[in-house]
Amino acid sequence: MAASWKRLLFHILLLLVSCRHINTKTPGPTPPPLVPISSLPTDERSVSLKGESHTENVELLNPVNLALQCTWTGNQNKLPNITGFWRKDGDEVENSRVTVQLEGDEYELKRVFSIVSEESLGSYSCVFGSEAKIEFVLAAPQIGEVRDKPIVSYVGDSVVIACKMEETKPKPGSWNWYKANGTDKEQIFVVAEPLRYEIKNEERKTKLVVHNLTEADGGLYYCGAVYAISTTMGHVELKVISFQEPLKPFIAIVIEVIVLVAAILLYEKSQSKKNYTEGNGATDQMNTMTQGENNGPEGSSSTRQRKI
Amino acid sequence: MAQPDPSLRDMTNAKPKAEGKSDDDEAPDGGWGWVLVGALFVSTSLVFGLMRSLGIFFVEFVQYFEESAQAISWISSTGLAAQQFFSPLGTALCNAYDTRVVVMTGGCLAGLGFILASQATSLVHLYLTMGVISGLGWGLVFTPMVATVMAHFTRRRTLVLGVGFSSIGLSSFAFNPLFQLLVETYAWRGALLILGALSLNIVACGALIRPRRRSKAPAKVDSERRSSCAATLRRVSSYLELSLLVDRPYVVYTLAVTLLNVGYFVPYFHLVAHSRQAGFSEYQAAFVMSAAGATDILGRIVSGWFSDLGHFRLIHLLTVWTTLAGLFIMLLPVSSLSGSYAALMAISLLYGFCSGALTSLVFAVVPMIVGVERMMGALGLLQLIESSGGLLGTPLSGLLKDVTGNYTASFVVAGGFVVLGTLTMTTLPHYFSCKELPPPQRRSLGNKDKGLDPELEQMHRSPTDTSCRGVNEVCSNLKECEGDNWVTITCWKNAKDME
Repeated sequence: MAASWKRLLFHILLLLVSCRHINTKTPGPTPPPLVPISSLPTDERSVSLKGESHTENVELLNPVNLALQCTWTGNQNKLPNITGFWRKDGDEVENSRVTVQLEGDEYELKRVFSIVSEESLGSYSCVFGSEAKIEFVLAAPQIGEVRDKPIVSYVGDSVVIACKMEETKPKPGSWNWYKANGTDKEQIFVVAEPLRYEIKNEERKTKLVVHNLTEADGGLYYCGAVYAISTTMGHVELKVISFQEPLKPFIAIVIEVIVLVAAILLYEKSQSKKNYTEGNGATDQMNTMTQGENNGPEGSSSTRQRKI
Repeated sequence: MAQPDPSLRDMTNAKPKAEGKSDDDEAPDGGWGWVLVGALFVSTSLVFGLMRSLGIFFVEFVQYFEESAQAISWISSTGLAAQQFFSPLGTALCNAYDTRVVVMTGGCLAGLGFILASQATSLVHLYLTMGVISGLGWGLVFTPMVATVMAHFTRRRTLVLGVGFSSIGLSSFAFNPLFQLLVETYAWRGALLILGALSLNIVACGALIRPRRRSKAPAKVDSERRSSCAATLRRVSSYLELSLLVDRPYVVYTLAVTLLNVGYFVPYFHLVAHSRQAGFSEYQAAFVMSAAGATDILGRIVSGWFSDLGHFRLIHLLTVWTTLAGLFIMLLPVSSLSGSYAALMAISLLYGFCSGALTSLVFAVVPMIVGVERMMGALGLLQLIESSGGLLGTPLSGLLKDVTGNYTASFVVAGGFVVLGTLTMTTLPHYFSCKELPPPQRRSLGNKDKGLDPELEQMHRSPTDTSCRGVNEVCSNLKECEGDNWVTITCWKNAKDME
């Protein structure tokens, strides 16, 4: 009994020791155990730096073995040897510190990285000594046109939320839609609620149609463009308002119009009453005089113009 | 002769009184004409200023209804076409009934159209509500208001027209950000609802028109003699002023304005695209358009003020402005071909000024040709007929661009049409005389432009009755039956005797 317990304790100890090694976070990219490194395609990016720093955006669609090459022309005092290393997202990559020789008036750093998943994406920098730095920002294609103003719609109405990937960028494999739930994103599945949601996907565009809106439908919606390497998100805000909202200024303006019209008509009535009390035939005379005056000055004005 | 005497007295009283007055307006209580100018300002901005700023809704419609931009743009085309098509209807109704009622009804219809549009569930609903119903309302509002204001002014007529029409440009400056705000806060449905309420303000503008006894009202009494069908037709044709269609000066003028319209709108549609094609940035192209719009407003007011100084005949000034506008339209592609932004900007500013200047005058010339009495119907018919020019011009310029690949041909042809319109105008009778002729005072049954005294016409106006014709024949036999007051009274007395 004691021996089996000892053996169990020994196995547990062994497990713990090996676990500690496994749990250590390595700054370098960790390939998932299932995909062998050699089967990935290769690609190369190189940048030649003349100044102090430079940032290069790299757009990736698929998992790839990416060779990043940095060339630096050096500064005034061209040291024969300089220390160079690589960084990912601010943390130094393990075992990347090397001594770089000055070759043909340049320093060169090159390293191959395995980019396989979303975690592999990010910012990779090659650093020469403490002076020069070249940053490579690896990312899937981003959704450029993001509507910053919220879409407004009414309770009971239906709304179309759209996301578009620019023509200049590669098209995604598919699109997903998510609704923000607190800090989480919940994916919207049309199958679950076919009466309420409709997703129309074209190659570069996607539309989410929400029917029969309620106030609860308001909030942030995310469209995800799915690429082999990761899914890029764009967000749109939806605001749902009740029909009472525009009704308030509407009724205000209608009341203003009614008041104006009533005021004008009342004013005119009071004016005509005043004129009527001035004399019995006064109104008739005014009418004929208006008609006369309407055309009379016509003749006199033409005469006037003739004189001029 | 009891009946003539009070009128006689009134006439003799009226004449010196009229000459003693400032003659700025003929309204009974003076100064009311300026209130009407304010009403014209507001109502024109709510008709055309609103129409011009509807572009902001179109983006929303394209997204909501998932239709093409061209299908959506048909909404405003329908609205404009309806406004122009129903103009003669509006003026005819004003001739038959009270102008105030017609304008107020038009305002209600315009507002109703937008209110119904806010409930639209398909594009066809929008065509019917924002297009047809609102367009009908606008048709009942615009031309009657213009005619009413013009009837109230003689000496300052062009100036008040310029001020009234300047509201289009000014209000579109205000409406664009306002509509943007409304759409962002309430979505297009709520925004359309609020716009409908805003359009109802036209009703208040219409209420400012004082009711007048229309001189055509006595005509109804005469027609009872005949069979009702023919009489109704005659009455309708008189309200529509269809007899103007055989009036040579009017036909010539309408043709000239139609030709003008073919080319007039081309820069508005194509200038931005042309600037972009010439290599200027989006911002630069939009700025050229805005600058042209600003000089347009300035041109309307300045030309109105200048025309009313009376140094030149209105028709001559109109010719000058249209010729210049046509020339500048033709020069637009030339200036941008050279690649100079300054040249394009300069020509666009000049074009904007000239096109605004001629807008004030186009309407003001009409009473000179047909007389104040028929001005209402004349304007309505003019709007209808000139709309065909606009309908022809834009597709033609688009076609030319598609065929030749750039806008040079479109602009040159547009400018050519404008100049052609100017040349047509020179064939108007008495064009080359230096002095302004008195406008015709009555229906020209013969070959005279100068008519009888207006008071005469007032008493005997009716569509076809023999009593009018009888009077004319009597007067035309008398040599002194033109101009002088007491001579025409003699004529009138004789006509009364005839009855």
